[in-house]
Amino acid sequence: MKIEIKVNNKRYCLEIEHNLTLLDLLRDELGLTGTKRGCEIGECGACTVIMNGDAVNSCLVLAPQADGSEIFTVEGLEENGELSILQKAFIEHEAVHCGFCTPGMLMSAKALLDKNPHPTEEEIKIAISGNLCRCTGYKQIIEAIKSVSNQ
Amino acid sequence: MLPEIKYYKANTVEETVHILAQNKHAIRILAGGTDLLPELRSEKQNRKVIILDISSIKLLNKIEDEGHFIRIGALVKHSQMVESILLGRHAGFLTQASSLVGSAQIRNRGTLGGNICNAAPCADTLPPLVALDAELTLESSSGNRTELLSGFIRGAYKTNRANDEFLTWIRFKKLPEGCRSNFIKLGRREALSIARLQVAACGMIDSNNKICYIRIVPGSTTPNVFRFTEVEEYLLGNEPSERLFSKAGDMVARKMVEITGVRWSTEYKKPVIAALVRRSLQAIFNLKPGVAVK
Amino acid sequence: MQKKEHNVVGQYTGRLDAFGKVTGRALYAADRCFPGMLYGAVLRSPYPHARILQISTNAATRKKGVIAALTASDIPGARVFGVVVKNQSVMAEDKVRFIGDGVAIVAALTEREAREAVGLIRVEYKLLPAVFDVEEAMKPDAPRIHQGDNVFIHHKVRRGSIEKGFQEAEVILKRSYRTQRIEHSYLEPEAALALPLPGDGIKIECCAQNAYSTRRSVSEVLGIPMNRVEIEQATMGGSFGGKDEVMTSLCCRAALLALKTGRPVKMVNTREESFLESYKRHPYILYYKIGAKKNGRLTAIEARIIADAGAYASMSPFVTWRSAVQAAGPYECLNVKTDAFAVYTNQAYTGAMRGFGSPQVNFAIESLMDELAQELNLDPLELRLKNCFTEGSVTATGQKLNPGVSLKEVLQKAAGEMKWEMKRALYEGEKRNQDYIKRGIGLACSYRGVSLGAEGIDAAATVVSVQSDGSVIMWSGISDMGQGAQTAQAIIASEVLGISPDRITFFPVNTSRISDSGPTVASRGTIMGGSAAKKGAETVRDSMLKEASIILDESIDNLIMYNNWIFSSKNRTKKTSFSALAGECFNRGVKLFGFGWHKSPSTTWDEKTGQGQAYFTFVYGCNVAEVEVDTETGQVKVIRIAAAHDVGKAINRAGVEGQIYGGLVMGMGYGLMEEFSIQEGEPQCYNFDEYLIPTACDIPDMKAIIVENPDPLGPFGAKSIGEPATELAAPAILNAICHATGKRIRELPADLEKVLLDHKLKRISKRGSEEK
Repeated sequence: MKIEIKVNNKRYCLEIEHNLTLLDLLRDELGLTGTKRGCEIGECGACTVIMNGDAVNSCLVLAPQADGSEIFTVEGLEENGELSILQKAFIEHEAVHCGFCTPGMLMSAKALLDKNPHPTEEEIKIAISGNLCRCTGYKQIIEAIKSVSNQ
Repeated sequence: MLPEIKYYKANTVEETVHILAQNKHAIRILAGGTDLLPELRSEKQNRKVIILDISSIKLLNKIEDEGHFIRIGALVKHSQMVESILLGRHAGFLTQASSLVGSAQIRNRGTLGGNICNAAPCADTLPPLVALDAELTLESSSGNRTELLSGFIRGAYKTNRANDEFLTWIRFKKLPEGCRSNFIKLGRREALSIARLQVAACGMIDSNNKICYIRIVPGSTTPNVFRFTEVEEYLLGNEPSERLFSKAGDMVARKMVEITGVRWSTEYKKPVIAALVRRSLQAIFNLKPGVAVK
Repeated sequence: MQKKEHNVVGQYTGRLDAFGKVTGRALYAADRCFPGMLYGAVLRSPYPHARILQISTNAATRKKGVIAALTASDIPGARVFGVVVKNQSVMAEDKVRFIGDGVAIVAALTEREAREAVGLIRVEYKLLPAVFDVEEAMKPDAPRIHQGDNVFIHHKVRRGSIEKGFQEAEVILKRSYRTQRIEHSYLEPEAALALPLPGDGIKIECCAQNAYSTRRSVSEVLGIPMNRVEIEQATMGGSFGGKDEVMTSLCCRAALLALKTGRPVKMVNTREESFLESYKRHPYILYYKIGAKKNGRLTAIEARIIADAGAYASMSPFVTWRSAVQAAGPYECLNVKTDAFAVYTNQAYTGAMRGFGSPQVNFAIESLMDELAQELNLDPLELRLKNCFTEGSVTATGQKLNPGVSLKEVLQKAAGEMKWEMKRALYEGEKRNQDYIKRGIGLACSYRGVSLGAEGIDAAATVVSVQSDGSVIMWSGISDMGQGAQTAQAIIASEVLGISPDRITFFPVNTSRISDSGPTVASRGTIMGGSAAKKGAETVRDSMLKEASIILDESIDNLIMYNNWIFSSKNRTKKTSFSALAGECFNRGVKLFGFGWHKSPSTTWDEKTGQGQAYFTFVYGCNVAEVEVDTETGQVKVIRIAAAHDVGKAINRAGVEGQIYGGLVMGMGYGLMEEFSIQEGEPQCYNFDEYLIPTACDIPDMKAIIVENPDPLGPFGAKSIGEPATELAAPAILNAICHATGKRIRELPADLEKVLLDHKLKRISKRGSEEK
C-alpha cells in the first residue's frame, strides 16, 4: 500500500508491504538505523521514536498505521547541524555506555521535556522506565535529563 | 517478523461494522497494537492474517461527561485517561490503574478497549471498571447491544464478543460524591510489570460513621474479574476498623481459593491478597495514610 | 596553583564513542548492509537430548529465494570449537544436547525466506534420556552428555589442615546456598556479517566480545589460515562476558554460508533466539562449613561448590577456578579446603558473565559471615574487620598479597558513608514496631584477582600513531563493548603525550591489524590495554622529545609536554605546539608510531596442591545496602546503596562511577528479581516480558566511593572496576533483608515468594498444582 509519512521533517511517499512495523520501515526502508531493534515486543524501548508528539515503541506500530503521521527519530535531534542540549548532556554526564539504549532513551527524554520542561526526578524515572539499560544503572542518564530541565 | 497481513482500515463505526460483517471469521481488530503485534509476531509465519485497523475512528477517542455517567470511547489511550481531570475526579482508581499500565510508550498506544477485549487476567483497568459496574456497548451490522463488563469477560483471554462485533463505548456511573477509591498493583518490579496481584476498591461512610457504600474487586486472583459481593455485604453497615478490614481481607482470600482451588501460587497469593485488601480499605477509610504499594 | 598529579588521567570527562551514539550514526553489526547480501537463519533443536538420525534440507533448498542450506556435514574443517575444551558444535553432528542447540543453517535472499526455509528442514531425532538436575548428573548412572564423565572439572584449594581447623573451632556452622541462572541481557542481540574476500578469505563484522578466539575458531572450522580470517568489531551494544561462544558459533555459521554462496551473509538473532541459544551465568550449589573461635577469629573454611555447566564446557573450567580460589572470601584463615566442580546437564550452557564465578561464592561466603556474626553475637562489620586481609596477608592459595591491601579502608568508607552503626541499631530497635515495613542494613566485601591470573598468558597490544598534523590514531586488541576501553586508553596516551584526548580517533578491534591481545575479559581492559597504550605512547613521546630537544635546543630532561604544547621548564619561551612538532618530526623522518606491548607479571598454579600465585594483583571492594521489606507481600525496596572500590587509580572518573552504578543495578537484579528458569530443558523466559531486569524506577539512591591506592603494576596505578562493581550487591542486599526480617534467604533471587514464605515456589507446569 501507499503511505505518506513525515520523518525528521522530511516527507516520504512510500509503497510498503502490510506486514511491516514502523521499526522495519525506519530501519530497512528509510535506512534510519539509529532506532534499534531490541526485543520487538515493546519491553525494552530501544526502538522508541516520537510519533505525533508521543513516545512510542516503533516495533508495536504497524507501518500502515503510521500513514499521515509525523515521526522523529534520533537522527532528527541535531539542530542546525549541532548537537541538541539533550545530546550534549548525555555526553557530558557519561550517560552513554554501550549506546544501544541511547537513541530510545533520548527520544523518551525528549518527549518528556517537550511536554514538561521541568520534570521532577520521579517524573524522569517514569518517563524512561520503558527504556531498559543494562550498562549504566540509569543514574547518569537521569542526571543528564535533569541537567537539561534545569537549563 | 510479522506474518503476511491483509490490512483494512476503517475510519468510522459504520465502516468497521461493514468490514467485520464481510470477514466474519478470521479478522483481527487492531487498535493500539500493544497486545496484537507481539501476538502476531509469535504466530506461525505461513498463514495470512486479516487485520482491521480501527485506530483512526475519531469518534471513539474521547471521554465524555454525561451527567451522572462517564462514557469512554474504546480507543481512548491510557495516557489520555491518566491526564483526564474528569476521570481523576469521579473514578480515581481507574486513572491510577491506567497510570500503572506498562510504560510511557505502552500507555501512549494502548487503548482502554484493547485492554478490555484482550481480557488478560492481569489487565490493570479491569478491576476498577468492574468495581464501577461498567457497561460496554458492542456494535455490529445488526445494531448494537450493551453488556456488563463483568459478564463480558469469560475467563482468561476470553470474552463474549462475537466475531462481527466490536467494542465502542465503556460507560459507568460516577462514584458517589464523597466516595474514595484506591487501586493497588503488586508487581515484581516498579515499572513495566505484569501484576502479581491487584485490588480495586471504593467506598464511603454515612453520617453515623457506618460504611454505606463499598466495592471490592481483586485482580489477577481468578480467571474472571468480579466484585466480591459477599465481602461487600459483610462490610456494609459497619464502622471502619482495622479488625473489620483484616476480616474482609481474609474473606477475599478464602473466596479466591474456593474459586481457583489450591495452585502452585496459592501459598503466596492467599495471605498477600488478604493484606492488600485490608490496606486498600484502610487507605479508602483513612485508617492509615495512603499505602505506598504500586 | 596547586599542582595536579595528572593532567588528563582522572580529569578528562567525555567519551570518544559518545558522539556517534547520541546521533544514531554509530553502526552496530545489525545496522550494516552490503550489496548482494543474503540473510542467514538457524534451525535449532526442540529437544534437550536426542540423537540425530537424519537431516533433509531438500525442501528448504527448493524453496524460492533459498541459496544454500547447510548442516554439520558441509563443514570443511573442524566441526567443534572451544577455548578450553573443544567440544562445542557449530551445528550438531551426531546429537543435540540442549533445547536451542544449532542443527542447520540457511541463506536466502530475504530474512523472511531464510526463516521460512528453516521450517522446511526435516530432522529425524531419536530421543535420549536427559538430565537437568546438576546433582543427578553427577551420579554414575546419569545419562552421559559428552564422552567421559559429566563431572568434567574439579578444582581444589588446600591450605593447612581442615581437620585441625575445625578441632580448634568453638563454633561451627554448616550452611548451603543456591544461586540461579541469569541472562546477560545485553540490549543488542547477537549479529554478524560475513563477507567473502578476494582469494578464499573471509571478513566478519560482528559484535564478538573476543575477536581473536572467534578468529581461531572460524579459521579452524573453515580450514583456512588465520591470516585469511579478518574479524572486525562493529560498535557493540553491551556484552558483560556474554558475546563469546554464542558469537563464535554465529560467526562460523555466517562464514560457512558466505563461503558456500560467495556472497555476503548477514545473521541477526531475535531476542527470543538470543535468550534460547546464548549462554548464561552458572547456577551454583554451594555447601559451606565454617569454624571460628568465640572471639570471631576464623579457624577453618570448607566449601564444596557445584556449577551447572549446561550442555557445553565453554568457560566453566576458568569460571569454577576463580570460584575455587576466591571461595573463602577476603579473610585470613589458616585452614581452607575448597572443591569446585563443573557438571554437564542438558540445558542452556553457562559461561562467562561479568563476575565470572565470584558473584556466586561471594553470595555464599558473605551470607555465611553474617550468619556467623549472628551466632557469635558480633556486628557483621566487626567480624569482617577482625578477619579481613591486611598488608602482608596470605590468601587461601598461599599467596602473599602485594602492598596496598585496602580492605579495611573500603569497609570503613562504605560503612561510614551509610552510617552503619547508627542504622544497625536504629533498625534493630524498629523491629518491635507493628509496622509491616521493616528496614535493614547489610554489607558484603570481597577481594578479587585482577585479569586472567593463572588461566593463561596475559598480554595485550595497543598502537599509537601520531599524524603529521598532530592528530592521533589509536587501535588496540582490547574490545570496547560500551565499558569505555577506548576512552580509558586514549586518556592514558594523552597523559603521556600531553595532549587532549579529543585529538584521538580510535579504531575498533580488527584481528588483521593488531596482535592477538587475548580476550577482553576479567576486568583486564584498563590494566592490560592501558599499559600497552602507555608503552605505545611512550615510544612516540620519546622520539618526539628527542627531536624537540634538537629543535628547541634544550635538554630532554627539561622538556614538558602539556596541554598540546612542548616547552622548556627552564625557559617558557622555548616552546612548540604538539602539532608543529608532529609536522617537523614527519618532515625529518622521525618515527611517530608506537606499538605498545604489555605482558603481565607471571602467575603460578599447582592443580594438585591447590596453591599458587593465582593473580598478579588484587582489588578490594565493599557494598553496603539499606532496604525496606514489606513483610506482608515480600516486596523489597533497596533504598540506598554505597559501593567503595579500590581501583588503584581512576583513569576516567565518570567512567568508573558509571561502571559502579551499572554494576550495582545488575547486582541488584541478581539479588532480587532475575532468574532464567529452565524446566525439563525448556526455557521459561524468551524475552524481556518474562525475564525481568531492573528499570529506572527500581534503582536505589547510589553512592560510588572511589578509593585510590595506585598499584605499580597498572598504568598510572590503575587496576580494574568492571566486575568488582557487580559482585557484591546481591549479598549486601540479602544481608540487609535478613537484618530487616530476621529471616535468612539462602537461595537467589530474593523474590516476592521467597521473602514472604522463606522458600521457593515452583511452578511445575503452566497450570500446575503447588510444589515446594
